[in-house]
Amino acid sequence: MTTAPPTGRRYRPPAPLGGRRRADGPAGRGLKAAAFLAPALLILGAFTIWPMLSALRLSFTDASGFGEPEFIGLENYVQVFTDPDILNAVTNTALYTVLFTPIAVAAALALALLLNNPRLPFRGFFRTALFVPFVVSFSVAAFAWSYLVDPQVGLLNYWLRGLGIQLGNVLEDPHLAMPMVVLVAVWKLFGFYFVIFLAGLQDIPTSIYEAARMDGAGAWSRLRNVTLPLLSNTMAFVLIFAMIAALQAFDQIYVMTGGGPYGSTQTLVMEIYESGFRKLDIGFASALSYVLLAATLLLSLVQFVFFGRKEKDLA
Amino acid sequence: MKRKTVLIGGAGSAALALLGSGCSGGGETGGPATLTFWHGYTEADGDVLQGIVDDFNASQSDITINTEVKTWASIDDTLLTALSAGEGPDIVAMPAERLPVYADKGAFAELDDFYNDESSNTANLLPGAVAMVEIESRKYAVPTGFVPLAVYYNTALFEAAGVTAFPATWDEWVATAKQLTVDEDGDGTPEQYGVVLPDHATVANGLWPSLFYGNGGDIVSEVVDAVIDSPENAATLEFWRSAIVDDKISPTGVDGVGADELFSAGKAAMTIGGPWMASIATENNIEYAIAPIPAGPVAQAASAIGVAMAVTVDADDNARAAAEKFFAFFLNDDNAAAWSLGSGWPPLRSDVPAEAVNSNPVVASLTEIADLGRPLLPGVVNSVDVLAAIDELTQRAVAGEDIAGLLAEAQETVQGALD
Repeated sequence: MTTAPPTGRRYRPPAPLGGRRRADGPAGRGLKAAAFLAPALLILGAFTIWPMLSALRLSFTDASGFGEPEFIGLENYVQVFTDPDILNAVTNTALYTVLFTPIAVAAALALALLLNNPRLPFRGFFRTALFVPFVVSFSVAAFAWSYLVDPQVGLLNYWLRGLGIQLGNVLEDPHLAMPMVVLVAVWKLFGFYFVIFLAGLQDIPTSIYEAARMDGAGAWSRLRNVTLPLLSNTMAFVLIFAMIAALQAFDQIYVMTGGGPYGSTQTLVMEIYESGFRKLDIGFASALSYVLLAATLLLSLVQFVFFGRKEKDLA
Repeated sequence: MKRKTVLIGGAGSAALALLGSGCSGGGETGGPATLTFWHGYTEADGDVLQGIVDDFNASQSDITINTEVKTWASIDDTLLTALSAGEGPDIVAMPAERLPVYADKGAFAELDDFYNDESSNTANLLPGAVAMVEIESRKYAVPTGFVPLAVYYNTALFEAAGVTAFPATWDEWVATAKQLTVDEDGDGTPEQYGVVLPDHATVANGLWPSLFYGNGGDIVSEVVDAVIDSPENAATLEFWRSAIVDDKISPTGVDGVGADELFSAGKAAMTIGGPWMASIATENNIEYAIAPIPAGPVAQAASAIGVAMAVTVDADDNARAAAEKFFAFFLNDDNAAAWSLGSGWPPLRSDVPAEAVNSNPVVASLTEIADLGRPLLPGVVNSVDVLAAIDELTQRAVAGEDIAGLLAEAQETVQGALD
């Protein structure tokens, strides 16, 4: 609280550092904000919004990339929902998501809980080591894994053979190829989720754990009743990110299996790539992209609502 | 598609080409033109092609062709975006099975008038090579390579097994492969295979079509009808599944790249491949020889590996006429022989005399069997789905699934892709 100056003159607050500030009206502030936002908005507009709108327009045409595309109404969308290849890609993408999301999130959470323990030696080293795969390019990682599991020259196969285990040609086995590409994605991405969980864990006040201990809560009870509820926001974030990553699965599949063997790893994004860039059916690929976008938004919304309710229950 | 070449005397022949390049077919140029030419010849063949381009640029003053060398995969990945942005090349070379996809979408200029022009040097092109650039009876490109798949075999392993003559029929082929298959420790997994027959993603997708042809079968008829579900193809699949799985003459689950690796490691006595296998064998100190794929019960034929160059929509009339002049130059008497020697592929023109390419033994061997070559899926626009269906069929057949059911399924998929 300030008191009136003794001189009786009107009080003028000191000028902020950096010189005198010009009096801005709401319009002036708006302009300034627009000027600051302009570079980001321009980039977003040119590289995200405009291509998205273009793709939306193309999804109603027979565009191939050459010549003037013809408007064909909902034909592409009808094909998306009736083509058996797309049904196969949807099934594979769903399987990939169901395998990848829980495994990656559970592994990240388990390791974050372990490495959040201040008594653990070499914590810094392990934290860094677990994050390293995330920094590696996905395609480089995929190539490395392809060589590791190669039945002729693969190191993994060589070691396992020494233990009497025949791994076989996992990337050519229709039952093993999908788990293999999921494993590579888990290895590559869980380090990122691990760091997010670690940050979430460090935000939980230690006083709550101390109170729980005094109330006689054991380790499992503290995890169930303190850690997990207070991590729900972080969990929602990680789950949504993991699910989006799963729905967009492409890189390692393109490199390791090319969608095979016999379409068993053909995901929706692989199908989009193949339709657009191999068959030059840009209109159909655009429609498929929009259907994938809608599905992603819907699933994210469901998760938001689910975790939002949980948070309300806690409050 | 990878390609390695044996280059003997290419530079000299290219220089001769300059002297003999008086003719220039194709359209009329309306003025100076600078053209961009994308191709994927990255080995010694690339040097020979560059020599021909340089000779062409030097042979006249109006047209300059600038080459940009990319991998074949990169050309396929970037051509669409480059052309739709108006930044594409004027001329592009690509694997022949990808041509119809682009031509059907209007990405390439039609070249019928060029072919009809006597000075275009196209009159004596191999019919199979021309068929691979035809879509709905119109020609959209000029072939730069056409070679049937052939058997590349390890002569040292043949000698060690006491095999003196290369097999001529399927039965002899399997018998020879059995003789060359060695399972020293008796664990059921041979240490050395008689042959390596990939069951998917085969070299230029051509192994199984070649085997189907051998028994009188086919995949597509007249571009519009799927004919893959036939008793002939069923018998072919039964025969080779038995040889691969029961007789263990070849490993299973291998693709084309894996086959190359097994052969170059000396773990397979025979492989099916293209001219680059010659230099791969040499690099790996493997003594090799080349033979045609043995005759099946009905025919002796081999799917051909093809590459062709087309004029894109980004080329205006002037650039197109200039490109046609270059094509005529590329196909002239001297360059036809020089390119064959330099690229290691047989001559594209049937009137190139055998003695013109005898200095390169690989070319000489491949030229002898050039007549066996059949273009793969000529004119089929949706080759992506057709080839995927063949891959799935052969892989599942070798894995032991019901062949009749698989053929019926493949028939439906292929017909769906053609409709």
